[in-house]
Amino acid sequence: MNTLWSDAFKTLSKNKPALLSLFFIIFIILVALFANLLAPYGYEIQNPSQRLMFPNRTFWMGTDILGRDLLSRVIYGSRMSISVGLIVAICSLIVGTLYGSLSGYVGGKIDNLLMRIVDILYTFPSLLLIILIRVIFGQGLFGIFLALTIVGWVDVSRIVRGQVLQLKEMAFIEAARAVGVKNRFIIFKHILPNILGPIIVTLTFEIPAAILSESFLSFIGLGLQPPFSSWGSLANDGFQAFKSFPHLIIFPGFSIFLTVLAFNLLGDGLRDALDPKLKNA
Amino acid sequence: MKKIYGIILALIILVIAWNFFGPKKFHSHPEKEFRFVIASEPPTLDWSLATDNVSADILFNLMEGLIQFDSDLNVKPALAERWDISSDGKRYTFHLRSDALWTDGKPILASHFVDGWERLLNPKTASDYAYFLFDVKNAKEYNAGKLTDFDTVGIHAQDDHTLVVDLWHPASYFLKIPFFWVTFPIRKDIIEQFKDAWTDPKNIVTCGPFRLKEWKHDYSVTLEANPSYYGEKPKISTATAYIINEDSTALSLYDTNKVDLIRRIPPLLISHYKNLADYKNSPFLRGYYYGMNVKKKPFTDSRIRKAFSLAIDRSQLSTILQGNQIPTSSWIPKGMFGYDETIGLKFDKEKAQLLLAQAGYPKGEHFPSIKMVYDTRDDNKIIAEFLQSQWKEHLNVTVSIDNQEWKVHLKMLETNPPELWRLGWGADFPDPDNFMNLFTSYSGNNHTQWKNKEYDQLIEEAAKELDSQKRLTLYQKAQHLLTEEDVPIIPLFIDSQNVLLKSYVKGYTLNPMSNNILKNISISKND
Amino acid sequence: MIPFILKRIFISIPVIFVLATITFCIMRITPGGPFDKDKAIPPEIKANIEAKYHLDRPLWSQYFYYMKGLIQGDLGPSYKYLGRSVTDIIKDSLPVSVELGLYAAFLAFLLGIPLGIIAAYKHGTWLDSSSMFIAISGITLPSFLVAALLIYFFSFKMGWFPAGLWEGGWEYKILPVAALGLRPVAIIARLMRTSMLDVIKADYVRTARAKGLSEFPVILKHVLKNSLIPVITISGPLLAGIITGSFVIEHVFAIPGMAKHFILAVTNRDYPLIMGVTLIYAVLLILANILVDVLYAVIDPRIKVS
Repeated sequence: MNTLWSDAFKTLSKNKPALLSLFFIIFIILVALFANLLAPYGYEIQNPSQRLMFPNRTFWMGTDILGRDLLSRVIYGSRMSISVGLIVAICSLIVGTLYGSLSGYVGGKIDNLLMRIVDILYTFPSLLLIILIRVIFGQGLFGIFLALTIVGWVDVSRIVRGQVLQLKEMAFIEAARAVGVKNRFIIFKHILPNILGPIIVTLTFEIPAAILSESFLSFIGLGLQPPFSSWGSLANDGFQAFKSFPHLIIFPGFSIFLTVLAFNLLGDGLRDALDPKLKNA
Repeated sequence: MKKIYGIILALIILVIAWNFFGPKKFHSHPEKEFRFVIASEPPTLDWSLATDNVSADILFNLMEGLIQFDSDLNVKPALAERWDISSDGKRYTFHLRSDALWTDGKPILASHFVDGWERLLNPKTASDYAYFLFDVKNAKEYNAGKLTDFDTVGIHAQDDHTLVVDLWHPASYFLKIPFFWVTFPIRKDIIEQFKDAWTDPKNIVTCGPFRLKEWKHDYSVTLEANPSYYGEKPKISTATAYIINEDSTALSLYDTNKVDLIRRIPPLLISHYKNLADYKNSPFLRGYYYGMNVKKKPFTDSRIRKAFSLAIDRSQLSTILQGNQIPTSSWIPKGMFGYDETIGLKFDKEKAQLLLAQAGYPKGEHFPSIKMVYDTRDDNKIIAEFLQSQWKEHLNVTVSIDNQEWKVHLKMLETNPPELWRLGWGADFPDPDNFMNLFTSYSGNNHTQWKNKEYDQLIEEAAKELDSQKRLTLYQKAQHLLTEEDVPIIPLFIDSQNVLLKSYVKGYTLNPMSNNILKNISISKND
Repeated sequence: MIPFILKRIFISIPVIFVLATITFCIMRITPGGPFDKDKAIPPEIKANIEAKYHLDRPLWSQYFYYMKGLIQGDLGPSYKYLGRSVTDIIKDSLPVSVELGLYAAFLAFLLGIPLGIIAAYKHGTWLDSSSMFIAISGITLPSFLVAALLIYFFSFKMGWFPAGLWEGGWEYKILPVAALGLRPVAIIARLMRTSMLDVIKADYVRTARAKGLSEFPVILKHVLKNSLIPVITISGPLLAGIITGSFVIEHVFAIPGMAKHFILAVTNRDYPLIMGVTLIYAVLLILANILVDVLYAVIDPRIKVS
């Protein structure tokens, strides 16, 4: 096990884009954590005399229609965007992993039934499902997490099930079963650690997907609303005016772009590093 | 043989290249075509059923009613050339013009109006706006299914060109009702023949200045001049409405000369267009307010309600919204009979703080946590954030903001309104009754839970009062009660229309009802 | 082949019914009704409207009424667009979405597959990283931003293409297709790269190389065919996703497609239309997946259609 991870780390450290991305992600997370220290102004301080200013020395990213400093809002926005990304990805992962590994491990009729349920959820237009849940559970944070998780976990469960099915046939698992090791023990001690690689890779792809989904929801008016504002909702606020006040959409949009890019490059790097098939090449 | 292939190949390449790089076919559009933008697909062109402004934007050009408004909202003859009102104000006799024709050449008869009103009131039609006729004798009973004989309802065709309407009681606003599209005449034979498909361009029969040429659902509606229209024929030959939901797209198309008129400009961009000659602005009979639930603490105390209204510097709203919206502290909008800007609670920080202190919260201390709720929309968000900071700054009170999807918002207002919530009201017809009626104790639109007998009485009296001076006094009293004494609502501003119209288009006027009237338009491009 | 297709269709029918039932339930617990408007209507009028659309009956009765219609192929009337049936609405708007979606999918395959091949073939070189960078950029921007940027540069600054509308000419299609296709290009390019890397490392390719076959035939014959399989697998759902998921693009470019109804139907609480678009999406997806299975069999005769 240890060699696998250390090998992986070595491969990763040779992959410059992925490494750079990792540093960038750490940086963004630090910004999100210390937003209150970093932001030059409060994110809701309105300044009637300084509305819609272009980037300048006092306001590096300009100001919005209520005269609020855009830089501070982008810094605080990282909190929302990153936490939506992390929480949704982790929730989807937990649900999807449990469901998928259960389904794959138990097999037989239960597997069939569970996969039928997944099939049905899969045929549901996710957009419609997200909107309905947003509408039913209100515009708060919880609604966002729930809606995006319900859509997100399905893919995870399919990936995990596939992995588990492969592993199940392997000699060491069959041996463990034969000597009567408890199922729960096998799942947690043997199966999950072995599929941790793909799970981590999936995680790095689910986070940016959730960040993008949230920005899409903002666009259709179902994203985060005050007092919260994410990059998605900031970019959407500026969308209509992109011809006259491009800074309103470019700065938050660029933040989304860089962060999502970083997660994707890191994910690609991790996949290359953790995929045993590719290593002996 | 090879040569031929070569030539063919060369030709193909040439055609493709021509398509891509050849001179752009900027077909400068013919002088008689007008193109404008509507914000959504018209839900229906069946005028007995239409309830929304987009359908109205089309219907007002396809059809005409008994009366019409000029640009100052004075009542002018349309299909009715004149009318008499009995001295008790209960009987209206409309004399129809005899030269008006339907697009299929048949004359317009009084019976077509009776058919239209019957269809509107018929419970099977299930029309939302049937209640506009509830002042008519027995109309409500017929609509509720209690009466089944339409002859008992107070509308009759005395002869082919005379229509008689009997009301329960005098109603000072009644003459403005027949401007409303639901009261237009209908062709029962056409509707019965084509059923739901009667509004298709090939079936529909209308009588306005334009007729329906084409309707590409979710994309465009095209009107063409109606040659059989009785009045002056339109100077343009076609008018095409493009259905564009996204305001910034509409703007881009306007900027690139794909459309000639847009009627909504995103607030962020108004300042950008304000100085152009294309920019037109006019008030719009729509009020924007925050209501308070007077049954919920702390708004059970009228001093607190007053303090909240007093603590807002409404003059800032016009700089935030940019579109010449008129900040207001009273309820009847500018442009309507009864508007009085002196009424209402003006910004007064000291007085607000004093009232709050008297109510037991000096300097806002220990003020309970309350929330304000709006329906999700960009401009509502900006205004809510503005109000929040005003109350924080002037009263030291923290109000949390919540928002929800439109229909959820409506449901909540109907079942359990929160302490503080947003809503607006657009005039159905330009009469103060349509605005003031809202806050009577029996109004379905009064979500404040505020019930005041005196107010109810004032509104009922004013509705029946035919003397305009007396009416004015009644509304002054009522507005005083509503916005100064009991204050169940915080009026914020009167909306405005912000449009961009190409300078080569003449004859398009904005009226405060935002009716989209195209019949006087002409296009002259001399450059 | 045909019995297989029939069987697949047959086993999908219960899925459709379960889906219809779930949608019906979720939709009905959503607060707010189709006829709630900002102007309250008197109770007697509300009663008339509810009677007209059978909304006064108990919920189970409404459910069976709807299902009965569904079996007969009747999707009911729209509650918002009065006088139009859901079938009419879908008939008008689906072809537009399909046209737009097919162009975008075509673009995705046309660009995505070569990008993936280059990246895998030149694994670890700058060509690999730059084609992957191009690919990844396609999925890193929210689509409304992509649309905004395209309009800003190509229609506003350059004046090459119209900023919206769908008048039929090719110039109206380029920007929306590019905006819609960017994401699938990225997905396909990445998938192609991974799957090709997998195949290149497989034993039989090594054997072929060892036998001295030159590089290009190896790629063409052995690698390409096998590495296309995952791409084909995903193309079914991807296509269904592109066709129905183009809301932002249709909205921003004012294109009269079907995707907007996934959102508008919910905001209007147009119950029959919500049901209609959900079912159409499911049917499209199921058909696309069947098509994918058939394609498998064509590409790789070893995969038995069973």
